[in-house]
Amino acid sequence: MEILSTIFTVSLVAATLRTTTPILLVALGGSFTTKAGIFNIGLEGQMLVAAFFAVLGSLWSGSAWVGLLCGIGAAVTMAMIFSLLVVTLRATEGGRGRPPNSRPGGRTIALTTASFGVRGSIGNPGIVGLPRLQVPFIHGTRPWGQMLSGYTPLIYAAIVLVFVVWAIQYRTRLGLYIRVTGEKPEAAESLGIRTTRMQHIASVLCGVFAGLAGSHLSLGYITMFAENMSAGRGFMAVAVLIFSNGDPFKVFFGCLLFGFADAVALRLQTVGMSSYLVLMVPYLVSLLALFALSWRQRDKVYRTMRRTLTASPRGT
Amino acid sequence: MTAAPPKDSDLAVELVGITKRFGAFTANRDVSLAVRRGEIHALIGENGAGKTTLMNCLFGMIVPDEGQIRVDGRAATILSPQDAIRLGLGMVHQHFKLVPSLTVAENIFLGMEPTRGGLIDRAAQSARVRDLSRRTGLTVDPDRPVRELSVGIEQRVEILKVLARGARTVILDEPTAVLTPQESRDLFRTLRGFTEAGMSVILITHHLDEVMAASDRVTVLRDGAAIGTEVTAETTEGRLAQMMVGRPVTFGRKARAATGGATVLSLRNVDAHDDRGLQALHDVSFAVRAGEIVAIAGVDGNGQTELAEVISGLRRLSHGQITLSGRDVSGAPADQVRAAGLAHVPADRLVRGVDTRETISANILMGRQHQAPWARGGIIRWGIVREAAKGLIGRFDIRTQGPDAPVKSLSGGNMQKVVLAREFSQEKPFLLVDQPTRGVDIGAMEGIHDEVMRQRAAGVAVLLISVQLDECLRLADRLLVMFNGRIQAEMDPETATLDEIGLQMMGGRTSERAAE
Ligand SMILES: Nc1ncnc2c1ncn2[C@@H]1O[C@H](COP(=O)(O)OP(=O)(O)O)[C@@H](O)[C@H]1O
Ligand SMILES: [Mg+2]
Repeated sequence: MEILSTIFTVSLVAATLRTTTPILLVALGGSFTTKAGIFNIGLEGQMLVAAFFAVLGSLWSGSAWVGLLCGIGAAVTMAMIFSLLVVTLRATEGGRGRPPNSRPGGRTIALTTASFGVRGSIGNPGIVGLPRLQVPFIHGTRPWGQMLSGYTPLIYAAIVLVFVVWAIQYRTRLGLYIRVTGEKPEAAESLGIRTTRMQHIASVLCGVFAGLAGSHLSLGYITMFAENMSAGRGFMAVAVLIFSNGDPFKVFFGCLLFGFADAVALRLQTVGMSSYLVLMVPYLVSLLALFALSWRQRDKVYRTMRRTLTASPRGT
Repeated sequence: MTAAPPKDSDLAVELVGITKRFGAFTANRDVSLAVRRGEIHALIGENGAGKTTLMNCLFGMIVPDEGQIRVDGRAATILSPQDAIRLGLGMVHQHFKLVPSLTVAENIFLGMEPTRGGLIDRAAQSARVRDLSRRTGLTVDPDRPVRELSVGIEQRVEILKVLARGARTVILDEPTAVLTPQESRDLFRTLRGFTEAGMSVILITHHLDEVMAASDRVTVLRDGAAIGTEVTAETTEGRLAQMMVGRPVTFGRKARAATGGATVLSLRNVDAHDDRGLQALHDVSFAVRAGEIVAIAGVDGNGQTELAEVISGLRRLSHGQITLSGRDVSGAPADQVRAAGLAHVPADRLVRGVDTRETISANILMGRQHQAPWARGGIIRWGIVREAAKGLIGRFDIRTQGPDAPVKSLSGGNMQKVVLAREFSQEKPFLLVDQPTRGVDIGAMEGIHDEVMRQRAAGVAVLLISVQLDECLRLADRLLVMFNGRIQAEMDPETATLDEIGLQMMGGRTSERAAE
């Protein structure tokens, strides 16, 4: 009982929101590429590169916002390289994820060594983190204040962006064309919709979101960069995307689930449970729950998986 | 029809000397075709004759190597479908290009959505579809997702899509291949309405009776070349068939020696439900003996799909018993039914017949990849598979570059032959053939019918399910008519008249249509 009450507190809500945000942001980006029919395994790499450059930007300019822009810029650049390989050069999708994803890990390590003479991580008092937003009226009041106020702007933004992404995908021409590109490219082409252009646009949009996610990692709650600080969240996002088929609201719930499990796991660690086991739990729980939730649509999920995993290059 | 040669101004579309090559292969050789304003012009030819290629040239999907296109009397440069649409052309493709998750209205206006304040104006879109529906008599529900529609309605959406873009000449590539006879008749009535309003229609089809019933003139393609253009009212089915195939063709009932052996398949009091949970089969009982062809005739959608699925182990029965080669296979999964002696040519070759991305060899192998001599020690012996595939390509006259060609490079009729080649070569005691000649041309149809007869002669028990009555009459030893999920009647194909069978297909009640 005592353990339970230590774990399930108001601050658990706060922790859940905090852990949900980066994966939600990156998954929302991936929702564009998923809808456009690209299996984007480069999410993890884009997020990591953004985290790194956000720290650099913040450090050199002294402004968290410049850092954020640097992070986004870096992720978008990566995304453009990715879509150049994938869409224009039509590398197969399995192979295409690999180079842009596996290199940044190594590249950021090389960069940290070069820039700071240390290996693997940058923690420097000069890094300016993102400010905490204090919601008027409820800030400071317990428990609402603790639950709803005092987060970095990106947490609020992530939730608003769920709706924005939905509106773009389901209420604008751009979103419609992106969806058609993924679902039935030959239909799009026959009506003069340029599918390659749509896939490039989706990739770049994805880069923007991955940039936000990465910057949140390194300028949000902790202001530092560590190699592998994205901790597989990009891959988790890919899993969420497969099960949700990229639908923004389903993505939201999938990520929330993961965030919650992650937050609980962190708690469990503080009460002294074996950390390796505990750290595995959120991934397992989320995957199982996602699978259960999508059970009724399993045919569709299998189809998506098969399409993404066999990765046969699509005819034009 | 006027006998005088048409003036240029009467022509909606004119193709002159079109040649299109794919590598060393010439798909269209110096083809000329003139379509008059206000006519339905049929374009016929065997599978692979080059009909789709020719229309793709006209519609800008591909660019011809030689030749000119004139639209409304003026030379036209058509490099993309957009160019064609701008010139008032519209095409309903053989494989529909609809997006299943989008609504009818979204599909119709895709690429030209009305917007308001940056967002798509869905209300205006639906209203415009309703308006278009009313003007053309093509009723659709604009807000229904396309994935919920039947093929007949999907086709209606494709036609509306073409009309919404202002088409004055409509090209339809084998539109009736997916339709029931009733739907086909409705379609022709709609097309006639278009031509009466001054539009032109190019209609690609395999069915000569449709050519005779629906067209004003007809052009025949064979091996990529135009053989000739006839005025429909002045020609005959026999003459057109001969032009298509290059030799005389007979349509009569297949001669046969009396055979008849032990019962191979028997169904007793079988009930089953469809995907929506409604009862689709009611108390179905019949048997098929060795060396016998039993045909199930009926209007599409009277339980034939469910019957085929229940027999082949793809759908559970809710009551009754099925025995195959003496084994009780009621409720057994598909692989066990196959092991018990089933070879199955499914109705929808794209869904259950072939994997279009794979090669012909792989598709021929499919289902036997664990068995000798095709595999040894878990390793597939591709050399043997390819040799077998080569043999079957020859025996079934599959028009292709070779056993390594992907199935998606084949025309529909040749894909069907790949399925037949795989299933007929298994030497199983029972053969279930479901719509074996759907979308297949006359020449290939004859070949398929001959193969079915050969199976019968070899002592195979054959169950033929077909919505084509002439096919049933041509092949069957016994004819069962299905209606509303029941076996409505058993008839003798030697003596039954079309009217009698038609009456049973409508449930035995006298109706206008049955009396036709
Ligand atoms: N893109 C292509 N590449 C190579 N061969 C093709 C291509 N399109 C069609 N063909 C070949 O051209 C021939 C004519 O095909 P098609 O026009 O589809 O015939 P039809 O519509 O009359 O059945 C076929 O043998 C087909 O295999
Ligand atoms: Mg064709």
